[in-house]
Amino acid sequence: MTAQIFGFSEHRSHARCEYLTLAFSPLSAPLRSRWRNNGLSADFLGDYVTTFLPANGSEAADVNRQAEIRHAVTYIANELLENAMKYHEHNVNIPIRIHLELTSDHIVVSASNGVGGGQALCYKTFVERIQDKDAGELLVKQLEESSGSDPSSTISCLGLLTMMNDYGAELGWMFEVNPDFTEFMTVTTSAVLPLRNLPGVPA
Amino acid sequence: MKNIHGESFEVRLEEDGVTVFFKGALRLSGVEDYAPILEMLKEALTDPAAPVVLDLRELDFLNSSGITMFSRFVIEARDRVGVNLQFLASESVPWQARSLKNLQRLMPSLHICLS
Repeated sequence: MTAQIFGFSEHRSHARCEYLTLAFSPLSAPLRSRWRNNGLSADFLGDYVTTFLPANGSEAADVNRQAEIRHAVTYIANELLENAMKYHEHNVNIPIRIHLELTSDHIVVSASNGVGGGQALCYKTFVERIQDKDAGELLVKQLEESSGSDPSSTISCLGLLTMMNDYGAELGWMFEVNPDFTEFMTVTTSAVLPLRNLPGVPA
Repeated sequence: MKNIHGESFEVRLEEDGVTVFFKGALRLSGVEDYAPILEMLKEALTDPAAPVVLDLRELDFLNSSGITMFSRFVIEARDRVGVNLQFLASESVPWQARSLKNLQRLMPSLHICLS
């Protein structure tokens, strides 16, 4: 079965770029003790990416630009990792991965995890629902619904909507049958951050 | 004064009962983990005559579960009559300029003081 792709089609850039991948085995530690690692990993990716950003002009502008990019990468990586950890199929040894790519005009942050068929279907339904919709409207609707009786059902959707609305990220998804555990799927969620859209970054 | 703290954060309800101070990075894992903080925030709403102030200027990071917690608080404040709610925010903390405006869409009278 070929992969199903939603959102942008260039899931992985083939242009020359810097990249970094971290992988975690879901069997090595329980979710709660692993939660702290999400923040550490996200902070690391945010710090790491700024190393490769060229100087841009005045020192104050560079500091501001680096702070904005560091924060955007950290926020997105943290949200993607939290979702991957929460929704991963915990009894199967499919690694959870977080991947960072940097090219001259954009940054890609991707996370992948293993899910069962039911979970994959739920996620696909959500993806189809938000495509071609106004992220700002969806976000405010989601925030209103978060005060309802079952707020836990809306949280991960909110993370994705904030990436789109607050950070200008373009999202893409790939669903593919896992080659080692064919009853499970690997879901990859990617966020592309065009460098030109970030505050403090010249167009 | 009441205080909730973790490895990377501190939340404090000040002596005046209407000012809540936040510091550090909030990355708790969901609604249940944020419940004690939400309860503390609701305590600050008990006196409708006093302006309620959330001082976020030293809150460097907030995950989307934290945004959900603040939206639930803002909706609670909006639905009570006469609540005067103010957020103190900092331009040097990137998430605040990006995400707090969404809370203002929930409660247009919310005053965000960005300095």
